[in-house]
Amino acid sequence: MPSEGAWDERHPPPTELLDDCVHCGFCLPTCPTYVLWGEEMDSPRGRIYLMAEGHDGEPLSEPMVTHFDRCLGCMACVTACPSGVQYDRLIEATRAQVERRFPRSARERALRSLVFKTFPYPRRLHALRPFLRAYQKSGLRLPLPAKLTAMQRLLPPLGPASPVAELTPARGPRRARVGMLLGCVQREFFADVNAATVRVLTAEGCDVVAPSVQGCCGALSLHMGREDEAVRFAKRLIATFEPLGLDVIVVNAAGCGSAMKDYGWLLRDEAGWASRGAAFSAKVRDVSEWLVELGPGATRHALDVSVAYHDACHLAHAQRITSAPRELLRAIPGVEIREIEEAAICCGSAGVYNLLQPQAAGELGARKAANVAATGADVLVTANPGCLMQIRTALADRGIPMRLAHIVEVLDASIRRDPTLLGP
Amino acid sequence: MSATTSALPGAENPGNVALDGLAREFVAALGPAAVVTDRVQLRTYECDGLTAYRCIPGLVVLPETAEQVGYVVRRCAQSSVPFVARGAGTGLSGGALPVATGVLIVLSRLTAVRNVSVDDERVVVEPGVVNLDVSRAVAADGYFYAPDPSSQQVCTIGGNVAENSGGAHCLKYGFTAHHVTGLEVVLPDGSVSRFGGLAPDPPGYDVVGALVGSEGTLGIVTEVTVRVVAVPERVETVLAGFRSMDDAGEAVSAIVAAGVLPAAVEMMDTLSIEAAESAVACGYPAGAQAVLIVELDGPAAEVSAELAEVEAICERAGAFEIRVARDADDRVAIWRGRKSAFAAMGRISRDYIVQDGVVPRTSLPQVLRDIALLSAESGIRVANVFHAGDGNLHPLVLFDSTRGETAAAEAVSERILELCIEHGGSITGEHGVGNDKKKHMGRMFTEVDLDVMQLVRCAFDPQSLCNPGKVFPTPRLCGERPGRRTGVHPVQAAGLGEVF
Amino acid sequence: MPTVAPATIDDLAAAVRDTAPSSIAVRGGGSKRDWGGVAEVAELEVSTAALDRIVEHADGDFVVTVQAGARLADVQNVLGSKGQWLALDPPEAGATIGGIVATAASGPRRLRFGTPRDLLIGVTVVLADGTVARSGGKVVKNVAGYDLGKLFCGAFGTLGVIAQCTFRLHPSPRAIRCVSVPLDDPGDAVRSLRRSPFRPSAIEYDGTRLSIVVEAFESAADAQAEQIRALVGGEVSAAVPEQFGARPWRSGEVGLKATFRVGALSPALALARGFRLSAHAASGVLWLGGAVDAGVLDELRAGFAAYDGSVVVVAAPDGMKRKLDVWGPVRGVEVMRRIRDQFDPDRRMNRGVLDAV
Repeated sequence: MPSEGAWDERHPPPTELLDDCVHCGFCLPTCPTYVLWGEEMDSPRGRIYLMAEGHDGEPLSEPMVTHFDRCLGCMACVTACPSGVQYDRLIEATRAQVERRFPRSARERALRSLVFKTFPYPRRLHALRPFLRAYQKSGLRLPLPAKLTAMQRLLPPLGPASPVAELTPARGPRRARVGMLLGCVQREFFADVNAATVRVLTAEGCDVVAPSVQGCCGALSLHMGREDEAVRFAKRLIATFEPLGLDVIVVNAAGCGSAMKDYGWLLRDEAGWASRGAAFSAKVRDVSEWLVELGPGATRHALDVSVAYHDACHLAHAQRITSAPRELLRAIPGVEIREIEEAAICCGSAGVYNLLQPQAAGELGARKAANVAATGADVLVTANPGCLMQIRTALADRGIPMRLAHIVEVLDASIRRDPTLLGP
Repeated sequence: MSATTSALPGAENPGNVALDGLAREFVAALGPAAVVTDRVQLRTYECDGLTAYRCIPGLVVLPETAEQVGYVVRRCAQSSVPFVARGAGTGLSGGALPVATGVLIVLSRLTAVRNVSVDDERVVVEPGVVNLDVSRAVAADGYFYAPDPSSQQVCTIGGNVAENSGGAHCLKYGFTAHHVTGLEVVLPDGSVSRFGGLAPDPPGYDVVGALVGSEGTLGIVTEVTVRVVAVPERVETVLAGFRSMDDAGEAVSAIVAAGVLPAAVEMMDTLSIEAAESAVACGYPAGAQAVLIVELDGPAAEVSAELAEVEAICERAGAFEIRVARDADDRVAIWRGRKSAFAAMGRISRDYIVQDGVVPRTSLPQVLRDIALLSAESGIRVANVFHAGDGNLHPLVLFDSTRGETAAAEAVSERILELCIEHGGSITGEHGVGNDKKKHMGRMFTEVDLDVMQLVRCAFDPQSLCNPGKVFPTPRLCGERPGRRTGVHPVQAAGLGEVF
Repeated sequence: MPTVAPATIDDLAAAVRDTAPSSIAVRGGGSKRDWGGVAEVAELEVSTAALDRIVEHADGDFVVTVQAGARLADVQNVLGSKGQWLALDPPEAGATIGGIVATAASGPRRLRFGTPRDLLIGVTVVLADGTVARSGGKVVKNVAGYDLGKLFCGAFGTLGVIAQCTFRLHPSPRAIRCVSVPLDDPGDAVRSLRRSPFRPSAIEYDGTRLSIVVEAFESAADAQAEQIRALVGGEVSAAVPEQFGARPWRSGEVGLKATFRVGALSPALALARGFRLSAHAASGVLWLGGAVDAGVLDELRAGFAAYDGSVVVVAAPDGMKRKLDVWGPVRGVEVMRRIRDQFDPDRRMNRGVLDAV
């Protein structure tokens, strides 16, 4: 019999939260990995059981860690749970323990280190950009290991870089002074989205403040259990935005927003930081949420398109924002919204999941692409760069031509009366 | 697909050579991703929706096809190894409780919808298909699958067949048994048989009828043909708030006596309303001591006549607020409170027991008063959520195990079942007997009744390998005649086992 | 053949247990004596004629418990006085509850209410050795133990004697309307009715005329009947036609029951050309009457098998039955034999009647 359990004393998955689970199974059909494999231990209920086993003396074994690693962190189970189980807190605590205590293989370590030495560092990504762009243009495809191939295939077509100004004044009377998170991936690979965000916000009467030196929000690190790193990033971001006198801080990447809304909790052990974190979090808004809160100022011009709206997990489940984006789309004359079957099931992007678990991510992507295609819509709209990359790749793999856009790009096109902004 | 297995078995059941051998065979035949042998992983299967009973299975197999199920069962039968089928593991009677020396056959990968024939009003599915997905498969054609257990977005058709699942709407539409017309079954010897099909009234015994509700003890279903019905023209959902359970109960009796057959009549008391409100903010009438949800469906003309009648009856019975759902979303909102009530209990109580008993509808008020008295005497809170139309009670006995209330709660829970029996009811309306209630079977049936039921079992499973230890308090030897047992059971006398 | 007609279940049990007859025939009202295979002459005949009490009518609960020998018509009279009915309407006059359950006999309103298996919620049976057993209960919703009632429905008495039954009841219909329309092929009309929002109690076809019965509140019945008439044509009346639901065979003829997947009504009717017929048109059941020999029967069986159905010889003179395979192929028959062997290992009960099993 095992003697020492899986968890040490530093924030193990709390037993009182584990006890909330009544084993009803309502989470199963919303869990992407359960949908794929039908295995108990790859479901939220099963993972919670594994966490409890860890308290019950079972060691942190390879099989146990495998099932935690396979969790996408999409939090669809949190939405589905009638008992209010805080799976988000549980998996976060578990991942931190795993990261600290479980020895990974050399290969895994190398891959993770590559990811974490580039993605959360805008400047490093920026430096990499010309090489990636040249590589894409060359049409060359190097024989890379599966997980690096996954990374390479997900890259959107790169245009020239276009930085966002530190201050863009509101057009017309000023209604608010907002900060803007530029994002790491968003900034480098979806510069158009950031540009559109600035245009829409200013058109709606916001002064947009976007410090050019702003680090990573820490979402990626947090979701992968790299707690210390996440704490470091969070503190830096708070320090950057705190003195700027902002009404709100707007985020256009769902994953970043959900992490930033939780800084109070993340920094709970950091002397003097918990309340600063909470105060910062209180100002964080997803761009859709903010625009609905603000109410429309600029005129919406008609766009004659049908739109399949994809709920990004970190928007719908982690932030519980599902009606705001639909409301914004509905307010545009001519836009027809089509719902996607299995909307609650993650597309497989999930931060860097599609890099670390490419097979599962690929299967989920294909599933999502099929459901998206079935809507027959002109444009797929979502609110997260990860989803955009993932679904773009999955659609392309199936040879399905469909335009993709971030929701602010649709608003931008409507406000500027220029449907061509939605791409070819 | 997942690569699940680390080491081959041996560690868990060091003495169980048969299981070790089977595990190796299954890995060879079904692939490593279909066989679970690691202790940590096996433990996630140690209970179903009823966590009070736990047993680590000797081995878990996840077949992907009916053929694989047949192969696994055949090898178990040849090796005299017991086996238990499991679907989504949402059952509330421990019906899928594993056997330590046996194989747990998980059917969650058999999820194909094999045939949709709306013109024949039939859908043919594999057992791992989720209940609600059957309705989804025919929704575009204006049809639906009527049995709707509260867990319908999770629970699988295979499990529904095993338990003869009902649901809120079975008052009008009937249970799983009324909607299954054909089954393909892997019998406990591993052979495959088909019963019934797309057409009605197959000649011979109604084996489909015997299999539905047999709680997985007669075989493993690998294909189910179900009847789907046309979506009604009009649905009206009435939410009525009452000042007392008695008033609400009176309304139910009056509705039924008036000759109205609603699709569903559900009642919740103040505690369950509180739990549901805190879970899903369902917005039930403030201050209600009881709410009634009455759903009417059918042809528009019929429904409007019935709606007027129901509203009048509720008002006469003292309803202080009556709300009729404005649209489909509003209806979903009303039902959300009811459907989440069980799981939401976690929000108002650390622990709870979900009871499932039935009384004749006319006994409801008396039984509810008795339960209230029982609760007052014992200091154990009891929340009531139930299908009032058919007298199916779901008392939720709330307790805190850390305060030593477990025994008192169990006593209250058992006493409620006794009340049901005393009033001529049943110990289970829909959750099944499983492992949980077999000890109560002797109160509802004589030993001879139970022995005669087990004749059916002997016809299917003479070795008693298929979900052994469930439903019946006393296993019987096949070949022995019912009603003839005297003295010590031969198995006991031979020192082969205990009669439990 | 000596006959006993016990007045209690205990007496019934004692009669078979104490005399230990080598073979037993069960007799109810005798309205379906010619149904099933050719019955062998038994050592003892058990009649349910004296077991004819209504044990309990719990009207508030819409449940009735009756002994097997009670006649359906008598039971309906009693229930009717309380505005309720047992929603079974097989046409055989004088039929008893036990016989209806044992033969799973059905009538037109099965479309809405189902067959005996769907309404039977509890049963007391006496096995061939005198063992008395009970399953189910007197509440509609009940999943405790195996449902023996289902097995005894349509078992033709081969598993034991049905002694007492408990049924779920329904409110008596307030008003009845019947839409009648002459049609050569009712296939399209029935399909559109099945897909319509209407909920008829019965949709019957007799070879020339389609009859759609609506039972509801007065106003609702009128409205539905009018809408149905608009959909399929015909005339509305306040009563069912004469001979509604009657079996189509005459004495001396062969009566058949053919089943098919419900979407195949038109081809099923085409197969039945040349027979007098009565169809539960929206349920997938055809009753046929006429002259049948082994060749015709084989042909019909092959034809209906294509629609996943079966053809069973229901009624015929014994001489004719002996020349025919009464039951035809039975899906899952090996399991049924094992069940029969368990309940009646010496095969004492109703020998010959269900000879396929």
